[in-house]
Amino acid sequence: MSHNDHNSKATKEPRPPKACGWMAEFENEHDLLHAAEKVRDAGYTKTDAFTPFPVHGIDHALGIKPTILPFIVLCAGLTGLCTALLMQWWMNGVDYKYIISGKPFGITPASIPVSFELTILFSAFTSVLGMLALNGLPKFSNPVFTNPKFDRATDDRFFLYVDSTDKYYNRESVRELLSSVHPSSLDEVLEDASPSELPRGILLGSLLLVLAGLIPAAIVLNMRASFSDLPRWHVFFDMDFQPKKKPQQTTTIFKDGRSMRPQVPGTVSRGQLTNEDPFYLGYDPMKVSSVDGPRQIYVSATDTVLETLQPPAGGDGGTALNLPWLEKLPVEANEANIKLGKTKYETYCSACHGYAGFGDGLVAKRAASLAQDTWTTPTSLHADRVQKQPVGQIFHTISKGQGKMASYASSLTPQERWSIVLYVRALQRSRNAKIEDVPVEQRSGLTDAQAPKTDGQ
Amino acid sequence: MASVPSSYNPREIDNTGDIPGRRAPLITGNQTYSSVTEMVCRVAEDPQPSIWWILFGMSSLTAVMFLSLIGFLIYKGVGIWGNMSPVFWAWPIVNFVFWVGIGHAGTLISAILFLFRQNWRTSINRAAEAMTIFAVICAAIYPGIHVGRAWLAFWLLPYPSLNLWMWPQFRSPLLWDVFAVGTYASTSLVFWYMGMIPDLATYRDRAKSPLKRFIYGLLCLGWTGSSRHWLVYEKAYTLLAALAAPLVLSVHTVVSFDFAVSQLPGWHTTIFPPYFVAGAIFSGFAMVVTLLVPMRKIYKLENLITLRHLDNMNKIILATGSLVGLAYGTEFFMAWYSQNQYESFTFINRAFGPYWWAYWIMVTCNVISPQLFWFKWFRTNLVAMWVVSIFVNIGMWFERFVITVTSLSRDFLPSSWGYYSPTLYDGLMFFGSFGVFLTLFLLFCRYLPTIAISEVKGVMSAQEHADHAQAAVLAELQGKDPHTTHGH
Repeated sequence: MSHNDHNSKATKEPRPPKACGWMAEFENEHDLLHAAEKVRDAGYTKTDAFTPFPVHGIDHALGIKPTILPFIVLCAGLTGLCTALLMQWWMNGVDYKYIISGKPFGITPASIPVSFELTILFSAFTSVLGMLALNGLPKFSNPVFTNPKFDRATDDRFFLYVDSTDKYYNRESVRELLSSVHPSSLDEVLEDASPSELPRGILLGSLLLVLAGLIPAAIVLNMRASFSDLPRWHVFFDMDFQPKKKPQQTTTIFKDGRSMRPQVPGTVSRGQLTNEDPFYLGYDPMKVSSVDGPRQIYVSATDTVLETLQPPAGGDGGTALNLPWLEKLPVEANEANIKLGKTKYETYCSACHGYAGFGDGLVAKRAASLAQDTWTTPTSLHADRVQKQPVGQIFHTISKGQGKMASYASSLTPQERWSIVLYVRALQRSRNAKIEDVPVEQRSGLTDAQAPKTDGQ
Repeated sequence: MASVPSSYNPREIDNTGDIPGRRAPLITGNQTYSSVTEMVCRVAEDPQPSIWWILFGMSSLTAVMFLSLIGFLIYKGVGIWGNMSPVFWAWPIVNFVFWVGIGHAGTLISAILFLFRQNWRTSINRAAEAMTIFAVICAAIYPGIHVGRAWLAFWLLPYPSLNLWMWPQFRSPLLWDVFAVGTYASTSLVFWYMGMIPDLATYRDRAKSPLKRFIYGLLCLGWTGSSRHWLVYEKAYTLLAALAAPLVLSVHTVVSFDFAVSQLPGWHTTIFPPYFVAGAIFSGFAMVVTLLVPMRKIYKLENLITLRHLDNMNKIILATGSLVGLAYGTEFFMAWYSQNQYESFTFINRAFGPYWWAYWIMVTCNVISPQLFWFKWFRTNLVAMWVVSIFVNIGMWFERFVITVTSLSRDFLPSSWGYYSPTLYDGLMFFGSFGVFLTLFLLFCRYLPTIAISEVKGVMSAQEHADHAQAAVLAELQGKDPHTTHGH
């Protein structure tokens, strides 16, 4: 290559090609070895032999030194090993820890296979690439190729070459030396006079090809860097589009052509029970009115609708609310429920309504003493209109609140609320009882103060 | 006293089957360096025989069918296969292991026989290496398409996945497999290519058309045959052989880890690595015989690939086949000796369960048929050895089928048992891979040096001294002057 580097582009006219050395041809490897030894002994070092296969002993005959390739490969192998160990330690032990059967992170016996393979991989590629690099390959232009006889160097002929850059080189003496070993031919190797430049067409064509090859990459980069309102372009669909039916679509699977299936008769949807059962409402929604009834079922739970049904503020509260209230307690009037009702009443209600239900709880008293004008006095549960209210309406008041009173639905279960209603009824009765209400055997023990008044309050 | 015919010349007749000793010639027909070059280059330079065109037409059509089916698979999904609970591995993995196993012979012949100084390898190593590359290509296709979304197959590489920044799991044998097969494929490729560089230079120097000369010139990287280059080249080749020898043993070891590291009865055994490696060498050599017997006939390479080569390969088939048979027996012994009821059931189920037919095909082909090679007639008869090699190929496919499918279809819980049946697509896609394999091999014969020309010549040079000595001994036995017997 170095010999045709100065084949300058400016000079077009041919000049005699420069001689690079002498090349002797032999018919077998024994003659070659013999000749090589002679050339070596004459002191030449810029020599080479070209043979169709590696000739045993030629390195000694030519005085070629051993190669350092094995050490390069050793280094590459160690690099591969370290790369593999570091990679596995960092990827699975540091950057993204995988917990597998509680085993330690980082380097474990499980790292051996990959470490082994990468050691081999790095070494093998270094062997090949190192061989090419140490041999200066690829090298497509070589003066030896100018001799047509040289084609047989890869077939059945053996060549010995002495280069003109050798410090003892003398054109005539080398020729004489090589003639003395009886080569089948002896030629002077001339430099490769063919132009070293690529033809312009090939250059231009390659440039165009490279530019064309960049177009897809440029498009991708442009798309990644810019924004678009258009939907994503699906090269691969992955799971973006799945065959399925949505409500309101048609289908051929079912006879009625609807993809949305009607409910099976008797289905109870979530939340439907608390919207329909009087136990949760205090009234029977089915009886609200013949016209509004069905609608009322679904809207009764919402406060806004009840707001519209409520009488104007300042009236006598819920009595005007004309709903089909439950008249009968849905819970049993036993001791357990009474006790539950008492506990819950005293926890939640007594603060305002008082332990006896006269609307004189501690909060009410304190508010009265502060004489705040925003305060509404709690209703006495013994007031006439409260006494007349059906149990369902009292339940409803507890559940939804009334005036300033808040809803207790989130604090008390329906069972507890009904128990409170039961207890309120008991309070009302106890404050308005007649002597006849007391069992006969207990009447004698009553003092005057304890004795219920005969007339209601 | 032995009677030797006066016309006897040890390099003229193919008596390689009769004298398997050290001094038997590696190549026959009184070859010279140029006649070897001529014989090998003729394969690519002469117009291809009509059988080549027929085979190429059929195999390339099959390959096109295979590629179309892969396209259909990617479009439609892996549901076109028969893989179904509980057998999710099925044919794709069976085919993968089958092809990887075949891909072991090339590098084994190139590397291990090289390190053992088995000079007879030089005539067969190139074709075997080519076969290795093509078999590994066929093998690599299956896991690639078995992942379902083949366009994301690059996630197998150590690459932090796009959305999760998650690395591969390095404690999984499936990932070791990616590294092992990847290293094996690339190392085999460079080993093969490096071995071809001097022969590509021969092709370049013989090429008549400038285009061919240009292409072969590019491929051989400007090789001159310089002794200084040869020295580094031989060192690199020795290093590569030393690296490839443990590599070739590691690859099928790691493939066997795919099975052995799981806990399935019939898979979870320590015998798997050596057993798989022996099976791989066995199937690989069988495939080499399957390919070389017709190839040496079609391209008239009988003098280079002699009966002795085939005899030697058949002996290796016999040895590894017996090893595989021993492994089958050991598995049964361990199943009984361990007193593990699941293990015992698995092996009884293999031999007498719903897949009994596959098991006995495997035993017949892998254990019984290679035993014929105890007889010299079978080892040196071309038709007989070809038939046995086909049997071995069939048997080794069934071995992977038996291991994969019987263990998966009946594991611990009878409630999760099932019976696997392949679909038409499974069959066509396995058949199609042979199209890819054969197409590539035929193109290799057509365009690349099928025999390592320079290595054969190197061995000839070393053999020459041995021949002289042998001729002298024979002449002495007959009381003749050695120079009248040898060297007309």
